[in-house]
Amino acid sequence: MTVASPPAPPTHEDPGAWINQQAVSGRRRFTNALATSWMIGSLLLALVPVVVIAVYVVSRGASVMSVGFLTKNMQIVTQLAGGGIAPAIVGTLVITGVAAVMAIPLGILAAVYLNEYGRQNRTANVIRFMADVMTGVPSIVMGLFVATIWVSSGLHSGYSGFAGSLALGALMLPIVIRSCEEMLKLVPDDLRQASDALGARRWRTVVSVALPAALPGIVSGAMLAVARAAGETAPLLLTIGTTNVVNSNPFKGTNTTLSKVIWDNAQTPFAAATDRAWGAALTLIVIVFVFTVIARIVSSRFATVKR
Amino acid sequence: MTTVAPPSEHGASGPPAGKAGGKQVDRVFRAIAFAAGLLVLAILALIAYTTTNKAWPAFTHQGLSFFTSTHWNPNDDRFGALDFIYGTILTAFIAVCLAIPASLGIALFITELAPKRVRSGVTYVVDLLAAIPSVVYGFWALAVLTSPAKTIYNDIANSIGKVPVLRNVFGGPAYGSSFMTAGLVLAVMITPIITSISREVLTTVAQDDKNAALAMGATRWEMLRVAVFPRVRSGLIGASMLGLGRAMGETIAVALIIGTSHQVTSHIFFPGDSMAAVIAHNFGEATGLSRAALIGLGVVLFAITIVINIAARSIANRTSAMTGARA
Amino acid sequence: MRSPRVRRTVGALIAPVLLLAACGSSSKNGSGGSGSTTLNGSGSTFQQTFDQTAIAAFQSKSKGVTINYAGGGSGKGKTDLQSKTVDFAGTDSLVKDADVSKYQGGKFLYFPITAAPITVSYKLNGVDSLQLSGPTLAKIFSGTVKKWNDSAIENDNGNATIPATDIVIVHRAEASGTTSNFTKYLVSAGGSSWTLGSGDTVEWPSSSQAGQGNSGVAQTISNTDGAIGYVDFSDATQAKLKFASIENKANTFVAPSLAGASAAVAAATIKADLTYSPLNEPGANVYPITSPTWILVYATQTDKAKGTALKDFLNFVLTDGQGLAEGVNYAKLPTSLQQKAIAQLASIVIPA
Repeated sequence: MTVASPPAPPTHEDPGAWINQQAVSGRRRFTNALATSWMIGSLLLALVPVVVIAVYVVSRGASVMSVGFLTKNMQIVTQLAGGGIAPAIVGTLVITGVAAVMAIPLGILAAVYLNEYGRQNRTANVIRFMADVMTGVPSIVMGLFVATIWVSSGLHSGYSGFAGSLALGALMLPIVIRSCEEMLKLVPDDLRQASDALGARRWRTVVSVALPAALPGIVSGAMLAVARAAGETAPLLLTIGTTNVVNSNPFKGTNTTLSKVIWDNAQTPFAAATDRAWGAALTLIVIVFVFTVIARIVSSRFATVKR
Repeated sequence: MTTVAPPSEHGASGPPAGKAGGKQVDRVFRAIAFAAGLLVLAILALIAYTTTNKAWPAFTHQGLSFFTSTHWNPNDDRFGALDFIYGTILTAFIAVCLAIPASLGIALFITELAPKRVRSGVTYVVDLLAAIPSVVYGFWALAVLTSPAKTIYNDIANSIGKVPVLRNVFGGPAYGSSFMTAGLVLAVMITPIITSISREVLTTVAQDDKNAALAMGATRWEMLRVAVFPRVRSGLIGASMLGLGRAMGETIAVALIIGTSHQVTSHIFFPGDSMAAVIAHNFGEATGLSRAALIGLGVVLFAITIVINIAARSIANRTSAMTGARA
Repeated sequence: MRSPRVRRTVGALIAPVLLLAACGSSSKNGSGGSGSTTLNGSGSTFQQTFDQTAIAAFQSKSKGVTINYAGGGSGKGKTDLQSKTVDFAGTDSLVKDADVSKYQGGKFLYFPITAAPITVSYKLNGVDSLQLSGPTLAKIFSGTVKKWNDSAIENDNGNATIPATDIVIVHRAEASGTTSNFTKYLVSAGGSSWTLGSGDTVEWPSSSQAGQGNSGVAQTISNTDGAIGYVDFSDATQAKLKFASIENKANTFVAPSLAGASAAVAAATIKADLTYSPLNEPGANVYPITSPTWILVYATQTDKAKGTALKDFLNFVLTDGQGLAEGVNYAKLPTSLQQKAIAQLASIVIPA
């Protein structure tokens, strides 16, 4: 989120560096240097997993990558090499897509309520607070919830892609609400007042002024939520079942996703299965990365417009 | 429920409607938006209700020993979940201990040290950690990390692990898949959220206050200690607690590398199990009472994480620093 | 307000959704489409590789039928069949009497499809062959023997010297028919050394590890020096694990093999419902830890297309499918049992 960075002193980029050149005792200087190296060291430490995982996933994944791998149905015999991951790619896109179609509009509407209607009233504050809390609900609990209320209840029988979408949608909802509200908050009230002055109703103001002005930020937040959901595994273990062939119908039949293919193939001693998991991991990372990059590009464009 | 339209700076002075139907549309639009907002509360309430409802047979069957017994055997209808509750808490604790210093360091690097140009790049890298799916972390750790980890653990077990008292924590024989490995990977996974909220909290400290400390001749570290840390302490505690909640609920990575073993032990190099991992491994095969017991684990997990999140958000909100904090 | 920028970002929002929708509607319909029948099964991972192989061969022969076998363990298969979530279940253990009434589709039939040894696989640097008796196995798996150089193990192996490595027990994480059969064997052969009982799950000693499915157990063993666990023959062979020779009732140490499994099935008593237990059967060539495995289906089918496909598939498994078994390390059914199973196909009622 674009939080204004604190204004630096006009003369110096880094006042902390300046003081060090003054007469300070060795011990103080040493402590300070220690603190500085802690900060830099922490950052380098955080870089290690990103780099190492990226190197492994890309190099191991690339070695199994081929057109056939991306377009064929799954190998039925887990022990053996061959087959592709097309059912998992389609499943990931369809299940995440359906979740997004449900969660994004609802999330935007809720954010509109919070920022355009509720503002600081008690109900709005409670919803806002609980939305924050809801981002902390473990994804496996969301899976259990959908499994009890949908998969094995009178509402519906059995596993389906849609059951997975329900769980992912519930996970995305609070993320969309909070990021969208932050974006609406950044829209200057002058714009709304101008619209009011022209005689527009509140809903008209929201739809034609506030939302369009905040749109790039909303898209960015939504894409990040989609990226998060696309990588989820736990709730899907309890909701979608499995399949070896492409099933593009989320409402009928069992389904599978890239994350589930990785989970299934990770827990085997077979080289062919491990290779398949690396290939699926690379594909999943690319999909997640694409959504993240779209989010970045859209939000950075927004930032330049704001200035 | 509030029925009175809330006052707001641009709404109160709204001019009369241009069209006759406009008011009606406005009311409907507001109601729809309000309903979408209520959905959050409805989902949370429904989760609590349906899961508790489905878990109830197991709770009544097992009674309080659900939380205190270490005997979990679905075949005998015995469901003592202490092993898993313990594993969840221990791994999350290890993760938070490892993640706090690193996250705070990164947050300070971003707010205090990094030139403006570098800042967004660093933030981006930290966000990338959050973008890697849990299953990829787990698979990578299982395939690549566990075997060198075991070697290192054994070295530690053979040195520090020989010292009395410490022996009970670091003693061998070490396992590649263990509480420690799970805690380590969890630490990486919760670093982004602790960093991002710490950063938000740190930026709330006025530059004037910092400059004042520096003008008194303080080094950067002394300035942080005097002018920054006292103001952000509760915010940082809130950030750490959010990380703790995340770590407890994390499922897939933990399920792959915790070792899947039923035990309560102080040895961090031993294998264990966590509530979320047990659900992931067993839910598909579970029927009747054992299914109810697994949902019961979910209820416990939900309750713990909700309490932690509510506490963390309240603490962090008190520093009024949470305006831009994103999960 | 309708600047090109806004329109572009609207496009950015809508494009992925449209893309998903397009991909949803244009790609080939894999299941549930007209003219195609989908059968879903779940359960035993012990028979999974055989099922997978048979399914692959069956699908290439009869176009229009898609079969998904989800694994997940015998417990899951039975639960899913109870609630009619699946059309057939794979199981290595029998349905408990108390559970029979829970099956929503009424009467069900056991179809034996194959049998196979459960190996006792291990990884121990420097040890390439190992012999274990029933009581020693019971001591190892109940945690009373903790080191590999224990006298009980050394006695079984002609007092050979074995490294003093810690034993790591590896078992199944989830409810499992393999666990059920293995622990039944321990009850039968372990004598007073085995006190943990038998079942889809038992309370293993602490510090034992678990894996998801037979392949998960195999993976954990292959990664852990000092590990010992029970794994189906097919997965253990494919994973290149070493396995112990087990002492049978004739006091002979027999390595797991398909011949040993066939001998065990031939020695077992087959009941009228085609259930049987080939565990710890007498005979010099018998491998004592041999697991049966069945496909469980409802006797009365409610959907004509599915019922027909299911019957065809079972028929294939019991006839041509038997020829595929040994290629993936499963034992063929003895001819007499095979004939009984084929005869039972006539009991499946399909609506007109």
